[in-house]
Amino acid sequence: MLWACILLPQLALDGVLRRHAAPDQPLALISGPSQRRVLHAVNEAAEAEGLHAGQPLTTAQTLCHHFAKVDVDSAAVERTHDFLAAWAYRYGSLVSRSLPSTLLLEVEASFKLFGPWPRLEARLRHDLSELGFRHRIVLAPNPWAARALVNRHDGLAISQDAPLQQALGQLPVDASGLPLDVCESLGRMGLRTLQPVFALPRAALGKRVGASALQQLDRLTGALATPLPYFQPADVFEARIEFNYDVTSSQALLFPLRRLIDDLAVYLAGRDGGVQQFLLRLEHDRGPVTDVRIGLLAAEREPAMLFEFARGRLEPLTLTASVSAMQLIATELPPFVPAARDLFDTRPQQAMPWQQLRERLRARLGDDAVHGLAIRADHRPERSWQIDVQTKSSPLPLPRPGWLLKQPIPLRDHRLRVLAGPERIESGWWEADVRRDYYVVETSMGQRAWAYRPVGELGEFMLHGWFA
Amino acid sequence: MSAPLPDYAELHCLSAFSFQRGASVAIELFERAKALGYHALAITDDGSLAGIVRALQAARKTEMKLIVGSEVQLDDGPKLVLLVESQAGYTRLCQLLTVARRRAPKGHYQLRCDDVADTTGLLALWFPHAESDAARDDAHGAWITSRFPDRCWLAVELHRGADDAARLSQLQALGKRLQLPLVASGDVHMHLRSRRALQDTLTAIRHKTTVAEAGHRLFANGERHLRSRKALAAIYPPELLAESVTIAERCQFDLGKLEYAYPKELVPEGHNPNTWLRHLATNGERWRWPDGTPDKARRQIEHELTLITEKKYASYFLTVHDIVRFAREEKILCQGRGSAANSVVCYVLGITAIDPIEMDMLFERFISGERDEPPDIDVDFEHERREEVLQYVFNRYGRDRAALTAVATQYRGRGAVRDVARALGLSPDLAGELAATMDRWSEEAPIPAYLRECGFDPDSPLLRQVIALTTELIGFPHYLSQHPGGFVISEHPLSTLVPVENAAMDNRTVIQWDKDDLDVMRMLKVDCLALGMLTAVRKTLQLLREHGRGDHTMESLPKDDKATYDMIGRADTIGVFQIESRAQMAMLPRLKPACYYDLVIEVAIVRPGPIQGDMVHPYLRRRNGQEPVVYPSEKLKAVLKRTLGVPLFQEQVMQIAIAAADYSPGEADQLRRSMAAWKRHGGLESHREKLLAGMLKNGYTADFAERLFEQIKGFGSYGFPESHAASFALIVCVSSWLKCHEPAAFACALINSAPMGFYSPDQLLQDARRHGIRVLPIDVRYSAWDCTLQNHVDRREQPAIRMGLRLINGLHPATAETIALQRKQQPFADVADLCARTHIDRRQQSLLADAGALRGLAGHRHRARWAIAGVESSLPLFADLPAQVEPESIALPAPTASEDMRADYLLTGTTLGQHPLAFLRPELQRRRYRDSSELGAIPNGRHIRVAGMVTLRQRPQTASGVIFLTLEDEYGLTNVVVWTTVSERQRRVLLQSNLLAVHGYLESQYGVQHLIAQRLEDLTPMLGSLDVKSRDFH
Repeated sequence: MLWACILLPQLALDGVLRRHAAPDQPLALISGPSQRRVLHAVNEAAEAEGLHAGQPLTTAQTLCHHFAKVDVDSAAVERTHDFLAAWAYRYGSLVSRSLPSTLLLEVEASFKLFGPWPRLEARLRHDLSELGFRHRIVLAPNPWAARALVNRHDGLAISQDAPLQQALGQLPVDASGLPLDVCESLGRMGLRTLQPVFALPRAALGKRVGASALQQLDRLTGALATPLPYFQPADVFEARIEFNYDVTSSQALLFPLRRLIDDLAVYLAGRDGGVQQFLLRLEHDRGPVTDVRIGLLAAEREPAMLFEFARGRLEPLTLTASVSAMQLIATELPPFVPAARDLFDTRPQQAMPWQQLRERLRARLGDDAVHGLAIRADHRPERSWQIDVQTKSSPLPLPRPGWLLKQPIPLRDHRLRVLAGPERIESGWWEADVRRDYYVVETSMGQRAWAYRPVGELGEFMLHGWFA
Repeated sequence: MSAPLPDYAELHCLSAFSFQRGASVAIELFERAKALGYHALAITDDGSLAGIVRALQAARKTEMKLIVGSEVQLDDGPKLVLLVESQAGYTRLCQLLTVARRRAPKGHYQLRCDDVADTTGLLALWFPHAESDAARDDAHGAWITSRFPDRCWLAVELHRGADDAARLSQLQALGKRLQLPLVASGDVHMHLRSRRALQDTLTAIRHKTTVAEAGHRLFANGERHLRSRKALAAIYPPELLAESVTIAERCQFDLGKLEYAYPKELVPEGHNPNTWLRHLATNGERWRWPDGTPDKARRQIEHELTLITEKKYASYFLTVHDIVRFAREEKILCQGRGSAANSVVCYVLGITAIDPIEMDMLFERFISGERDEPPDIDVDFEHERREEVLQYVFNRYGRDRAALTAVATQYRGRGAVRDVARALGLSPDLAGELAATMDRWSEEAPIPAYLRECGFDPDSPLLRQVIALTTELIGFPHYLSQHPGGFVISEHPLSTLVPVENAAMDNRTVIQWDKDDLDVMRMLKVDCLALGMLTAVRKTLQLLREHGRGDHTMESLPKDDKATYDMIGRADTIGVFQIESRAQMAMLPRLKPACYYDLVIEVAIVRPGPIQGDMVHPYLRRRNGQEPVVYPSEKLKAVLKRTLGVPLFQEQVMQIAIAAADYSPGEADQLRRSMAAWKRHGGLESHREKLLAGMLKNGYTADFAERLFEQIKGFGSYGFPESHAASFALIVCVSSWLKCHEPAAFACALINSAPMGFYSPDQLLQDARRHGIRVLPIDVRYSAWDCTLQNHVDRREQPAIRMGLRLINGLHPATAETIALQRKQQPFADVADLCARTHIDRRQQSLLADAGALRGLAGHRHRARWAIAGVESSLPLFADLPAQVEPESIALPAPTASEDMRADYLLTGTTLGQHPLAFLRPELQRRRYRDSSELGAIPNGRHIRVAGMVTLRQRPQTASGVIFLTLEDEYGLTNVVVWTTVSERQRRVLLQSNLLAVHGYLESQYGVQHLIAQRLEDLTPMLGSLDVKSRDFH
């Protein structure tokens, strides 16, 4: 067997850049906890501005004012890795993506189909360049040797054992994939490349570096074959119903929809997964297809719920042309996490479960109209609300309205009655200083409002919220 | 018309000594309170009286009434402010805070309800919780009323919260229910509302977070400032404001009248302190002058004793004498420094080592009749044995009567910018980079130009805020730490005078006041300082005794040895005390000291004072006969004769004022103090008039008087006292003699006393080798922890230095100890034997191998590492069995010379092999850089370029901003001078290069060569991963 090792040194960055509108502008991938954000990788334009991987974000911001910041999304990196593995699968059935940023591909079996290695290699490189991934490729008789050699080589192709020994012998110990402490220890013994390491008596060496290091050395030479986990292309659910008649009303689509959804649910249950997003594709006799995307906040597989969501999106649709077929495509099939339910659930029949209500609202009002709300520890009222919640903190025992206006507006009412206040709020100087005296007031209509005036002034009130 | 403003006293106010809470310092608070017409101001720092003396000074300056108090949060009870009503109350408060502080780790306190028993003389303000809880409030209320009967109030603090009116009526109801009177107070954290940003920043710093993340830990608004009485009247009912004044009136304690007494037990039965001091002085006279005391000394002793008696300082002298006596008995080298050297009494008591009569010194520099401040005696001890002295003092007087003084460490530029930057959300890395643009001790905010050079944009809104807040924060107290050796000793328990707390180090206690506070409170302080050179001298003398090279003491070494002065004149002074700095070494060949007094001048002349006062060049010209020595008058000739008519010392300025302008000695000392402070506080004008008038009256010309005054101003705070220089010069003398005659022992002792001085072990060893001393490598067969000496067969030859295991970075002393122990029983057969018998861990074994210390057992370091790695982890059961022998002979590549050099530097910071530059020499030659050996033959003024490792960067304390660099190569050292124009332009290169090329021109004068830098070039990348660090700005 012959193994091609494809190293993708900038997998995460390239995965972002290939879809980015302006990949030539400075761009950096950001990672790390919120207190210590660091640059994970930078593109060439950013490097020219003095940014580099490992740099703290704040440092980068002082060096370069405008650069695109993209959070490292490890799930996206995994998907990209999967995507590339699926691509590699075209060129051979033994593909492994088990090592980070690496694809290992058995190619000997593919020479018949794709031609000898140079031609295949050229194809691989061409594809990867087209896809926008920087890469290094090495061919070797075993995957471990290929992986180690690609650390220092690009384009090296070895198919025989003798040249492999020679190439390995010249490989620096640091690049050999041996554990770090072993590399350091060997370095201190004056052993800089693998050649003299291989020359050492095995027992004496083993005593000093340990069994796992010996194993790694054996894997490199091919003396030890360690099987790799092989890649299986990802599953996708696709189902299609062709109508014998032209459907002209969306209501009429509901029945076939239920069938498609049921099939999807069976499939999901079979793989013990859920679906987070799927596509309804309506085909017309003439003209382009109509795509209806259904996205969920969390992975689901309950057919009634899935049907409800899809129906919510389908019903308002005005069909401009009759439909000849409907297709359901589900590509995002994440693991399903069931909601915890009380064993003795006593909800009345009519009540709608919260998730279902939430999804129906989202379906009816739009994705952006429904979101979570949480309290944030900040004295400034507008900052103490936040949408899309990560951190939650408990509220202070202060009178705060249930409904805070997005923008304060003048409150013109000559018969306002001040119920409490002023409560002075002065905070936020580090980004936007707020200095206001807040009052709880009652309007002439009897509503209780939260309104403010600039600190120490007696002018017009600005309405900032309503008490329920 | 509006109603008259109500009277008000603020009873709850934190100063900056409530660290990271109070956002104003005492003087700001008092000045503001004064301007607002407050009746009085209480300073109630959090569990502390550390800021109370500053408050007292501020109160005196503003003529405001200070109420002493403290805010305390009880662990199992309410939050209170305790206010001091009387002297008894003050003592109670100090004791209470001492109990609470001693119980908790440094910087914290724990106070429990049970601690609050006797509260006579204390008033309490109670702050009930914001969330009312009737049961808890009742319990707290009952407890307070029982502990502070008729001396407690319910404090009402309204800060424009959500519903102040509701809060007020709630508290009024509570007061009615518990029958407690109400009073208004402000919970003041700052003097002005505009400190809000700084207060928020401090809060974030305290919680180790950022202002954006601090959330509700920040105050909701800026109301916690000193509010105008008009504003207060709009918030509080008038009777609550009036009550604050009533309370203030009750507090009649005056901190300024605190009584302090020196310890008495050093006086035997039948004596009083004065007679006992006289007795000891008489004994001392016989010891110092066996042939009879000279008349002049006799008269001076009488004069001093009279003044000491009059000032009641005898106990103080006895205390210091007792400490010095202990050190001498324990054979710990010690020597008094500073102004005490002006006193013959100190000389005869053995506290100081120079006879002030011979030196014609001025006693009033030490104690004066006019000055109402205790004298300051500082004594240096060997730095490695000073702890013994400290523990002696603690034991002698007991822990309750002796404690170290505190140091109120201030925010300086670097620390301030780092904390502010982090509070504003900059990463620690970036905060560090910002800090790096500033000098460590700078008291100025970051300079935009430097920021720009380091890639920051000082105009960005964020950095503007950082700069503004940093500017405010600089000078604020940061935390309380311990003074390195300043003791306070008292007849009565210290906790009746000032709270005592734990130090970071075990077995130490610290009072909450620092030395400035003690001066104000007129309390005794003894400084037991640590001096590394005394350790090195003792170790040298010991090495010499052990190796049969003579039995010397500091006193017995000659002070007039010609060979020693010749060496000093050549500036061959690496390692010697004081005169080893670059600036000193540049002066030596010009001054060519030839006697002890020349060294006194040498120590004092290379200081900013004489340099700025333009006294150095006139002195040198006169000394070299290039300018006639003239005196303005006969009277001044007496004062200035020993410095050839040029005033060089602080004391001379005082003596001039006395001799020429009719100052009394005490007034002259006032002048000295004003000189020290005028740059910061001004205040020299009154002296100007007085000096000029006095000198004109005595027949001096106005021109001369003006010039003299300018010189005095130039002296500023940097003038060096002759007494101090005289003490130091003695140690210079001793260490120079040792370097000259016993260079091997001296270098060995210096390294064994590290860290100390300017030079690293590497530089000291290189210097020794340049002087022909043989240096032997680290070897487990011979090396001890310390460097040792190996005598030459010919005793006239210098011994060789065997490098000690202490030079291996990361090696534990315990490893060295067990190696030495096992080796003594039986030499090591091989590496396995070493490992089996010493049981040192794998990391220590590897260090020995990598450092080349196993060369004798295993060969070169690669083989050593192989051998170490092959040693099975030792099992005690089988320790007796012979080590398993490996049959194969292993061929490992021998390290190359450059690999050895790198490993040497990495592991031991020095090498006996080739210098790093030797490896780079061909490339450097190709680029036409000179080496240090070529410089001697190059004429003055020639433009050249030299490359070398930067081993030293020094910025002498002169305002001119010149920086001295020392470049080292395989042949020796090159002295480089970098003037401000270059250093500002190439700051980054200057500060960050390890290998540096200097383009400039050569300046040769008096046999000294300097390279004056015009352009710098960073060659560090050539070094690769070589680990050679330079020593920066010490």
